[in-house]
This record gives sequence, C-alpha cells and structure tokens, in this order.
Amino acid sequence: MHGALRLVGWRLLTGLGVLWGAATLAFLVLHLTPGDQAQAIVGGENAAPTPEVIAQVTREYRLDEPWYVQYLLHLGRVVRGDLGTSYRLHTPVTQAIGEQAGATLELAAAAAVVALALSVVVALASAKRRRWVRGLASGSELVIASIPSFWLGILLLTVFSFGLRLFPATGSHGFQSLVLPALALALPIAGVLGHVLREALEEVLEEPFVISARTRGQGDMAVRLRHALRHALVPLITMTGYWVGALLGGAVITETLFTRQGIGRLLLGAVNAKDLPVVLGVVLLSAGIYVLVNLLVDLLYLVIDPRLRDAPAPAARTAVEGSA
Amino acid sequence: MTLKRTTIRVAAAGTAAALTLAACGSGSGGDDADGTATTPRNGGTLVFGENGQEPTCLDPHGNASSDGPVTTVPVADSLVWYAPGGEIQSWLADSWAVSDGGRTYTFKLRHGVKFHDGAEWNAVALKTNFEHMRDPATKSPLAASYIAPYEDSKVIDDHTLEVHLSSAYSPFLNVLAQGYLGMISPKQIKEAPQTICEKPIGSGPFILDKWTKGQSVTYHKNPDYDWAPKGAAHTGPAYLDKLEIRFLGEDATRYSALVSGEVHAIDFTPPQHVEEVKANPDLGFLSAIRPGHPMSFWLNTSRAPFDDVRVRQALLAAVDRKAIIEGISFGQYEVASGFVTSSTPDYARGLEGTITHDEAAANRLLDEAGWTAKGADGIRTKDGRRLVAYFPIDPSFPAQRMQIAVQTQAAAKRAGIDIQLQTPPTQEVSDRILAGDYDLSSGLWATNTADVLWIQYSSENITSGDRRGQNVARLKDAEVDRLVQEARETTDKAEQADLYNQVQARLIELVPAIPFYDDPRPVSYQKKVRGLSFTPAYPSPYFYDTWLDR
Repeated sequence: MHGALRLVGWRLLTGLGVLWGAATLAFLVLHLTPGDQAQAIVGGENAAPTPEVIAQVTREYRLDEPWYVQYLLHLGRVVRGDLGTSYRLHTPVTQAIGEQAGATLELAAAAAVVALALSVVVALASAKRRRWVRGLASGSELVIASIPSFWLGILLLTVFSFGLRLFPATGSHGFQSLVLPALALALPIAGVLGHVLREALEEVLEEPFVISARTRGQGDMAVRLRHALRHALVPLITMTGYWVGALLGGAVITETLFTRQGIGRLLLGAVNAKDLPVVLGVVLLSAGIYVLVNLLVDLLYLVIDPRLRDAPAPAARTAVEGSA
Repeated sequence: MTLKRTTIRVAAAGTAAALTLAACGSGSGGDDADGTATTPRNGGTLVFGENGQEPTCLDPHGNASSDGPVTTVPVADSLVWYAPGGEIQSWLADSWAVSDGGRTYTFKLRHGVKFHDGAEWNAVALKTNFEHMRDPATKSPLAASYIAPYEDSKVIDDHTLEVHLSSAYSPFLNVLAQGYLGMISPKQIKEAPQTICEKPIGSGPFILDKWTKGQSVTYHKNPDYDWAPKGAAHTGPAYLDKLEIRFLGEDATRYSALVSGEVHAIDFTPPQHVEEVKANPDLGFLSAIRPGHPMSFWLNTSRAPFDDVRVRQALLAAVDRKAIIEGISFGQYEVASGFVTSSTPDYARGLEGTITHDEAAANRLLDEAGWTAKGADGIRTKDGRRLVAYFPIDPSFPAQRMQIAVQTQAAAKRAGIDIQLQTPPTQEVSDRILAGDYDLSSGLWATNTADVLWIQYSSENITSGDRRGQNVARLKDAEVDRLVQEARETTDKAEQADLYNQVQARLIELVPAIPFYDDPRPVSYQKKVRGLSFTPAYPSPYFYDTWLDR
C-alpha cells in the first residue's frame, strides 16, 4: 500500500506543476495574440465605446500594467483561491463556471457511459466472430469515428428531431434533450474505443489461459466476460486521457449545435473577448480534471493488475503498458 | 421588381400598426370566417427562437448586441416611442420642449408609472438613468456614446426634468426611443448596480425571471402594467402570461425548431428558408428593414489605392450589386440605393437608381486614374505597382459577407483590381481596423436616424489615440463634415431633411463604401401567434401585443 500512497503524492505534486503551467500558457497565449484588450472587452461590431469607457476598463482591469505585473496579479489572485470577476459578464468567475458546469458534466457523463457501454458490447459480440460480423462492426466503427461530429449532430437532428420528432432539438432540460447531444458526442468516441477493445480482446482470446478455461467447459460468453474482458480493459483505461479530452473538446461543438448550456461555449466567448479571468478559470478546471483523471487511472491499474501494487510509483504505468 | 420593392417598403414602414391591426381586428369579438379567433386571448407562454448574438449583459445600457433590445424591451420601457417614418411619440415622457437652440430638453414625465421593485418613475429616476448610462463604471459600449452630448440635468419638479446638452443634438429623441436606452429602476441603480447585468428591473410589461446564459431568458407578465406606448395596439397588461427567448445560434437548428413546433416564432429567418416559410400555410412571415447604414464594404480612403476617388468609383461601377445580392440572399434582400437604408428618416428617395453597374465606366475611370498598364494576370499596374487592395474579414462574420466578398473580388478582377481576401483571427482584424491597416472592411450600423452619416463619415469619427470612431472609410471631406454637423444641430425638420439629402448625394460621388443591401429583420411565426410586431426604433420583435390563438 506504501507504493500507492507515494504514487498519489507524486501525482498531486506534478499536478500542481501542470496547473501552474496551464495557467501560465493560457495567460501568455491570450496576452501575445493580437488584439487590444480594452477593445475586445467593450468592443465588437455594434459597439461604440466612448474614450471614458475605454479608460475605465483599462484602469479597472489594470490593462496598462506591463505583462509580468498583470501575470503576477492574476497568479496571486488564483493562489489565494480567488478566480476573480469576468470582464465581459460582470459576474464572479466561479458563478459563471458554476452556471455552466452542471450541463457540461451531465453531457460528458452521459456520453461517457454510452460510449463505454456501446464499445464494450460491440467488441464482445464481434471479436473473433465470423468474417462478415467483424467486418460490419469495424467498418461502422471506422465510418462513425471519421464523421465530423458536427455533421453527425445535424444528421441525428434531421432524423430523430425534425423527421421522427422523437427528441427536442435544443435546450438542456431533462433526459429527453440529453439523448441526441450525448449520442453525437459518444458515437465517434465509441467507434475508436470499440476498435481498440476488439483488437485487445482478440489478442487475449488467443492466450493459453483462455484455452484452458474453455477446456474446463466454460461457455463462450462466460470466457469472454470473466477472463478476456478484464485483460482487454487495460488498453481502454490507458486511453482514458484520449476520451476525456475528446469529451471536453467535443462538448464545444455539441453544445453549440444543440444550443445547450456549457463550459465549451463559455470558453469560446471568453477567448474571443480576451476575458482573462474566465479563460484562466476554465483552463484551471480542465487541467484539474485531467490531473485527477490520470491519478484515478494510475490507481485503477493497481486494482486491475495486482502485480503492480508494490512496484515503484513512476514505473507502474510503464509496467502496465508493457504487459498490455 | 418594382412591385416587390414597394410592398416590402410598405411592410417595413407600417409593420407595427398594420400587423397588430391584422391580428387583433376590431375587437368586436367572436370568430371570423375561417374559424380563428379575432379577440385577443389572455394566457399562455410564447417561446421565441433568437439567433446566437446573446448579449453578455442584460443592462440595456451595458450591451451593444443586436439581440439587446429584443431581450430588454420586454423589461424596460423607454422615454419616448419612435413611430415608423420617424415621428416621436410620448411614452414614459408625456411631452417635451426643446429650447436654447436645441441644447435644452425639458421632459414632462408620465404619472403613475412604477418599476417592478416598486420604485416610482419621476424626474430623479430619469436623471439617475442618464447618469448611469454616462457612468464609466457601467462600461456602456453604446448608450454612452449615443448620449455623448449630455451634460447634466436639473430636477424642476417631481415629474419635470430639464436636460442640458453641450451642443445641439437633434437625434437625441430618436436614440432615446431605442431599447439600448431603456429605463431601469433608480433603486436598483443606486442600491445594487452590480445586479443589473444579470437581472435588470424596469417598468415594462414583462418581469425578468431568469437568464440561463447560453440558453434562454424567461419572463412573466407584469399585472400592473398600464403605461403602454401609443404605438401599441392595446393598453393594460400584456396578453401572454410568460415569455421565453431561446438563443438558437445555428440557422438550421433555429429554422427546424420552428417547423417542428418547438418554438412559436423565430428571428433572423435564414434567407434560404424564406420562400419555404411563405409557402407553408401554417407559418406567417414579417420583416422590417433596419434603419441606419446598409451592409457595406467600406473603402479606406486614407491610403492607396482607394485614396483616389476614381478608383473607388471604378470599383463601385464594376460590381453588379443586384446580381450578387439576389444570389446570396435567394432574392430576399433589397439592394441598397445609397448610404442610408430606405427605412431611415430623411432617406433620399430621389437618388434611387443613381448608382449603376457599368463595367465600361469602371475601365475608363481606372484608365483616367493612371492605372493603364496591365500585367500578364490581367491586374492593372501604375509605375510598376500592381493595383492591389487588402480585405481582412473577421471569420466570425456571417457567411453571406464572405460570399459577397468573393463575388466582389471576381468583379474587381475583371476590371483589373486585385482584391486580396484575408481571414486573420477576430482580434487581429479588430487591431488592424483600429490601426487603419486595411483597404476594405465590412459592416453596417443600425440606428433610427440619418445621423448615422455623422457616425460613419464625420472626420471627427476617425479612430485615433483614445478616440474609437466608426468612420472606417477614414473619409475626410469638408463638405460632408459641414453637412452632417449642421444636420445634427438644426431643430428645423425641413432644413434637416434637405441637409441629409445633400450628404447622401455627396457620398454617392465620393464612394466611401460599396453599399450592398438594406439589412432586414425577418421573423417567421406559427399562425397561431397573433399580434407579433416590431418596435420600430431598433426593429426587434415586440411581444406586448402578442397573444396565442388556440
């Protein structure tokens, strides 16, 4: 158990470094990209800010300070646990994110469940099956993984919302309005995961212990579920970073298309208006999620593969990846 | 074509009155021949699909979004009402007098008006609102500049306010009618100004319930409402119990939401669907041309090649605006005939048809300007320089603008001008516009006064240092300057109309821009939605007279 504790400590420490790096990068990127900040905040196509308003914005947000002073001001604020007030929305960043986070979380969780369930079921049903079954499964996976999610979303909308009128096209109220966006987000991910999972399953199904299980008279499904799946799950878990990223990134497009609330749209608006406090807040949140997810993955390896429990922490992941 | 032009203009001019009349009928009650009720029914929730230009702040004074008024007019009444055609009518002000050569406005305010929080509407309330618009802390992106000449005001008695301007400003009442200058509770301004963006408190027919950012704004009826403007079709509280405005940014999603019945009506009907709407017996359509400056490509007159008026005239003559606009709008948009739209007060009707498509004239003008030689690629040259113009386009702008730009580029190429389209990021475009680093730039400006010509073409409004101006053409013409300044100062209506006519004629000679189309606000609705109209000041859907039929 000592190894696990060291692993957690080490991960948390590097996690802090990741957060700091993410915040710094976000600040620099926003600062170095072209665009007058005051103009970005109160400007826009229909705006005509007076010199007094520009002066007020510049003074209030200290935009006239050199970049390193602004950087330290923002960093200092964040370290004290204060995410600040949005330049654009005039509300606290925690509130702005809080209003949007629930919807994104709901969407991401639903999509994750759908993607995992779908890929596991399809892979279990099609690995080492007749040629046409495998072909059909891997063909559809390829198609679905390569379709731009924007187009997939429109396709779903056209068929299920405007055509069959089964689900609403817009909004984030309740289960009904979650179905189509979750599918649009989940299907491409399921395509990739399903493919990886089947490959892994087929490899495992060749292993001697599977043959010995079969010779003990176990049924085909029992062998797949009890013996093969557990081993095949390892590469899936290794890919967690990929699908968490795909969920967060895909949320931006899905939220826009289905007019849902969410972090993705909040971030998009904030970046365009150079709304630094909101950008920093969202970047820190997503970086934090990544750090936590990676920590969980490392702990999961220990659960799945008992051989790793006493291995030195940084070596744990390589050992698993090697064994997979 | 002529027939269509006329019908649309009439529709635009008389929308509020005509539509509400058609919908609400004589009030005699009962059902008409086809079985639909003609007496307004109370109750129900109207769900309205808006485009994605969601404001970042619902303080009328704190936003400049084109969706500002549609979301804030239900909550906040204005001082005056602007009727189609330009007449200013009473609303929260019963009457007003202009004195001191147009520098003093004395407003007599309506009695008995209450804000949603119980605060009373009076002279102090109006003064507080003016000060809130002007307060730099409000960070007003638009209202503050619309009342820039406001100096101070004096409370004469409980319901009389005397407003002093630093210079005569004849469009004052016009802009006061716009939703961006709606009146907010003085109590909220004094006690909790930080809450106005999130939940403005006004005196309007609807009370704001909740703004779910990125999604919708919901309202419920103000049962005490009894101060509707004269331009409305009824008095007393609104008919609808509730109102929900949903932001449906994707054109396809918004249109489909209307057809599938998820929303009752939508704003900004995509032009490609307008004919379908008109052909659909279950749907109705209404549109108004926004007053102000047409959608145009401004030409930077401060640097080569467009510092030469002949090159600007040549480009205007080279472009077949009618063909381009018909193509990109599926025949829905009106080609602009000058530098203000046809619904703007003092629009120079007599100048219609002055701008013509004439490729021979374009070539002649370019020859005269000295761009006589031609390279192998067909682009003209002068002293070894190619005739190139750079056009940075904001990628977030509507796709139609890019389509117009591409077709303009093709027309220019035929005349020997090389227009280079560039799509840098939004902020870089904005930087380049501030710095004057462009030859063409696109845009429009909606406001209910020909003073838009001062905003766009007075040399005072060329961006320099702290002063951000809208004169994107960077036009510096002494005669234009004089005419727009005199027009904004005079209190004589006839003289003003004459001055604005002269500016419009002068601008057609100077060609500071290629005016393309008069921007419409096309709304589609299910037929059971009755009495939907526009506030004409800044045409946006007006829900006060709206009701839902069975």
